Amino acid sequence: MSPTTEVLLSLLILAGAAFTFIGSLGLVRFKDFYTRLHGPTKATTLGVGCLLAASSIFFSITGEGLSLHEILVSLFLFITAPISAHLLAKTALHQGLPLGFNITRQHDTDIPRMPIKDS
Amino acid sequence: MSRWRDEKASIFGDNSEMNLFLAVLMPFLGAVLVALASRRGRAFAAWCTGGVALLSLFLLLPAMAASFDGTTTIQRLTWIPAAGLDLAFRLDGLGLLFALLILGIGLLVILYAHYYLSAEDSLGRLYAYLLLFMGSMLGVVLSENLIQLLIFWELTSLSSFLLIAYWRKREAARRGARLALTITGAGGLALLAGFLLLGEMVGSYDLSVVLASGDIIRAHPLYVPTLVLILLGAFTKSAQFPFHFWLPHAMAAPTPVSAYLHSATMVKAGVFLLARLFPALSGTPEWTWLVGGVGVATLLVGAVVALFKHDLKGLLAYSTISHLGLITALFGIGTPLAAVAGVFHIINHAIFKAGLFMAAGIIDHECGTRDMRRINGMWHYMPHTAVLAMVASAAMAGVPLLNGFLSKEMFFAEAHAAAADWRVGIFLPAAVTVAGIFAVAYSLRFIHDVFFNGEPIDLPKTPHEPPRWMKVPVEIIVVLCVLVGIFPAQTVEPLLAVAASAVLQGPLPEHNLALWHGFNPALWMSVIALIGGVLLYLGRKPLFVLHDRLSGRLDARAIYEHGLRTIIDFARRVLMRLEAIGLQHQAAVLILAALILGSAGMLGAASPLTGSRSLLPVDGVSLLAVLTLIGATLAVTVLHRQRLTALIIVGAVGLIVALAFIKFSAPDLALTQLSVEVVTIVLLLLALYFLPPETPAESSKSRRWRDGTLAVLAGGGAAALAWAVLTRPANSIAGWFLDNSVTGGGGTNVVNVILVDFRGFDTFGEITVLAIAALGIFALLENLRLIAPRRDVAGRRWDSDVHPLIMATFARLLLPLALLVSVFIFVRGHNLPGGGFIAGLITAIALIMQYLANGVTWTHARLPAHTHPWIAAGLVIALLTGVASWLFGRPFLTSAFGHPSLPLIGELPLASAMAFDLGVYLVVVGATLLILINLGMAHSVSHEDEHAKEGPWKP
Repeated sequence: MSPTTEVLLSLLILAGAAFTFIGSLGLVRFKDFYTRLHGPTKATTLGVGCLLAASSIFFSITGEGLSLHEILVSLFLFITAPISAHLLAKTALHQGLPLGFNITRQHDTDIPRMPIKDS
Repeated sequence: MSRWRDEKASIFGDNSEMNLFLAVLMPFLGAVLVALASRRGRAFAAWCTGGVALLSLFLLLPAMAASFDGTTTIQRLTWIPAAGLDLAFRLDGLGLLFALLILGIGLLVILYAHYYLSAEDSLGRLYAYLLLFMGSMLGVVLSENLIQLLIFWELTSLSSFLLIAYWRKREAARRGARLALTITGAGGLALLAGFLLLGEMVGSYDLSVVLASGDIIRAHPLYVPTLVLILLGAFTKSAQFPFHFWLPHAMAAPTPVSAYLHSATMVKAGVFLLARLFPALSGTPEWTWLVGGVGVATLLVGAVVALFKHDLKGLLAYSTISHLGLITALFGIGTPLAAVAGVFHIINHAIFKAGLFMAAGIIDHECGTRDMRRINGMWHYMPHTAVLAMVASAAMAGVPLLNGFLSKEMFFAEAHAAAADWRVGIFLPAAVTVAGIFAVAYSLRFIHDVFFNGEPIDLPKTPHEPPRWMKVPVEIIVVLCVLVGIFPAQTVEPLLAVAASAVLQGPLPEHNLALWHGFNPALWMSVIALIGGVLLYLGRKPLFVLHDRLSGRLDARAIYEHGLRTIIDFARRVLMRLEAIGLQHQAAVLILAALILGSAGMLGAASPLTGSRSLLPVDGVSLLAVLTLIGATLAVTVLHRQRLTALIIVGAVGLIVALAFIKFSAPDLALTQLSVEVVTIVLLLLALYFLPPETPAESSKSRRWRDGTLAVLAGGGAAALAWAVLTRPANSIAGWFLDNSVTGGGGTNVVNVILVDFRGFDTFGEITVLAIAALGIFALLENLRLIAPRRDVAGRRWDSDVHPLIMATFARLLLPLALLVSVFIFVRGHNLPGGGFIAGLITAIALIMQYLANGVTWTHARLPAHTHPWIAAGLVIALLTGVASWLFGRPFLTSAFGHPSLPLIGELPLASAMAFDLGVYLVVVGATLLILINLGMAHSVSHEDEHAKEGPWKP
């Protein structure tokens, strides 16, 4: 493996790790439920994507032939991550979670709700 | 006895002389065939059934012919060589006699049943049961191996249960069948114990060995228990006193069944066993007293009770008991000549009793009742049937010129001769003569009450002669009765000679089958019996009055039912006590017991807890994972009342365990763990939907302390055990598998090779269990309608958008990808982590995704609604793969492998184990879907109801 590829791989892995870390940090630090959704879904997708790219390149060079498993994995990831984010957001809307309100600091019954119109 | 033919063969070997095996197998196969064929009409079913019986007979012919010159044919198939168990069949004179009776009378019964059963009753079902029974009976009489004999013996109990309960809507039929099964089944257990003891004594379960080791057996200290156990089996089957009471209740069966079971087969199995083991067990005082005593008691009880039965079949039932007692008594006397007489009476009784039952069936069929107080004067309505019944009945009474007379006179002669040896003086001949008097009296009653004695009283039907062919079987039988009775030496003698010499396993004693033996004691006893019987019948009125006054005082069945009730009540009380303490307490008791026993063992051991193996260094990642695992486990315990939260943490525990598997080089386990985790979470979510999200605290503080302490101690004990085992150097069989995986199984993935090859038989058992479990769960869930909560915990209604569009669309997109992965995992399974089990779970998850995302209606329109066929197909494929190796002369489930190279794809590792793995795959997919979908269906039904009632929810 040439030094250039090694540097490239290292950069990819580091970038992946950085994105993953930022995503996790966002999950903890963001104010309310809706903003927090950004953390895991966007940043983590990018992070794992970088790691997968690194893996694909590494095994394609050292192994026998092209390693394409990673493409399938990222395909799965790119399909499923938006769905789960969508479902989570939908649930939050259905439950009427308020904007800009940190629920972890409060007891469940104290959360102000968005008004629910019961038919 | 002069020559032996012992043949060894494999199923698919070139040896064509496997006729005994095929002859026994044929009725079992035929039963399936007939059950299917009966849709094409009754006559067709009858022809098929008769054809099967004839085919069996045809297959037996070569061995039958050989047995006439004293050859014993033995054919064996290796079955479980490690347990010394072969499928071994034997045909000698005794087997020949019984096979002829079973098949011959079976054929007559098949013809008779065709006309007997009414159009509403399923003839195919009766014929199928009848063939099952025929096969079982043939198995009993043709078995060389004792254990195999016992298996067929139990099969006769089971199939006779089906036959007796044929009219399953009638309570009497069900009760009678249950009674017969309980008594004969219990006897079968005793017989098994007896056979095991016998096998221990002589060191083999082969009849040839057992029969030749009579001296060893009789001298053995365990002879008496063995004898008693075996006799229990024989006596229960042959309805000997005091186990006789099941037989009259078995009369609830259709008459063709009674004619078959109680003449030539079922009850004859018991006396067959006495005859079969005669050389091995007889010749001791214990044998004489037990067998002879029980026989004479049964003879007397049966004969006396028979006279007082008003039910036509009841009379015949007790007379059957009495005649079986007679045969038993003959074997009990134990002299060679008595054994000959016993065999002779087996033949005669089978013939005339089959005819009598058939005649009784005709009368019942034509009159609509069996009550002899109402059936009178039938002579005018059906003279032809009357003549047939009278001849058969006279044979039963022992009237000269008929077959019953000959064997009965031999019996009288033996009883007279034995009186001196038994030191019972006049008792034995007297008892036998009294039984003879009663036999004449009840035979006379059968004739006089039914065919004469005035006019019929209030019959449901107007009787007339039955269809022509219904009488043919009876005619054949009556002709046999007369032929044997007049020309015994020309007709029955050769058969009797080979059968009797097979019973004795030695030279045949001098006997003379003739009508006239001169004026000897036996003749006088016959004369007394005949005259006494007529006198007894003439003076019957006061006896009937006496009987009516006494009846009901001593009913064996009442005693039996009382005993049964006591046992069931006792079991129920014990169970109530145990169950009343509740599941948690039961678990606590169990764990406490394990704890006490375990610590007693551990503290008592001298060796240290920590073994000699050096420990591996701890790395940071592992430590972190372990700490997380511990934390998650604690969190589940603390938060277990919030079910959803607890479930999520359980999921986390599963993930960490999967990581641990990867860390310790078990990728197969990790993959399995991951997929099982997903399925479990879906399953639990479906279940949790019906439960409140939080459980209130129900346990008291002290109870929580107690349970906590128990849990900590038991868990600590398990951890200590694991520690002790893991710190010791292990000598496992893993090395062998690692060395032989490629050479023996053709795969580098040892885990998979173990599953589908080395331990393939275990896997086969496991998928079978899985299939059964899935079907069981399906049965429980099928009509389950649960009431789901209408609102969530905060009082909100559920979202009306049950299947969000984005989710539905992308889930469809995911399906081909997921299936691709599943195929990939499946194909590479033999060499790399994967395999049928994991692939099956992945497919199941992919399909369940469709149900979750698109709903049951959408998915059901595209997938088969039931996955039972998948399970069945999987089991069949796995089984066929296993069986296929027989074709190549290898043991079950031996795998073949190769590495063919295909264009474009490259080298493809192929092993026959892959087909087996496909079976595993199908069973896993089918079972998982069956369970989850049906649980989800209960769910969706409750959900739809709600929407239908309240309309969609709008925020």
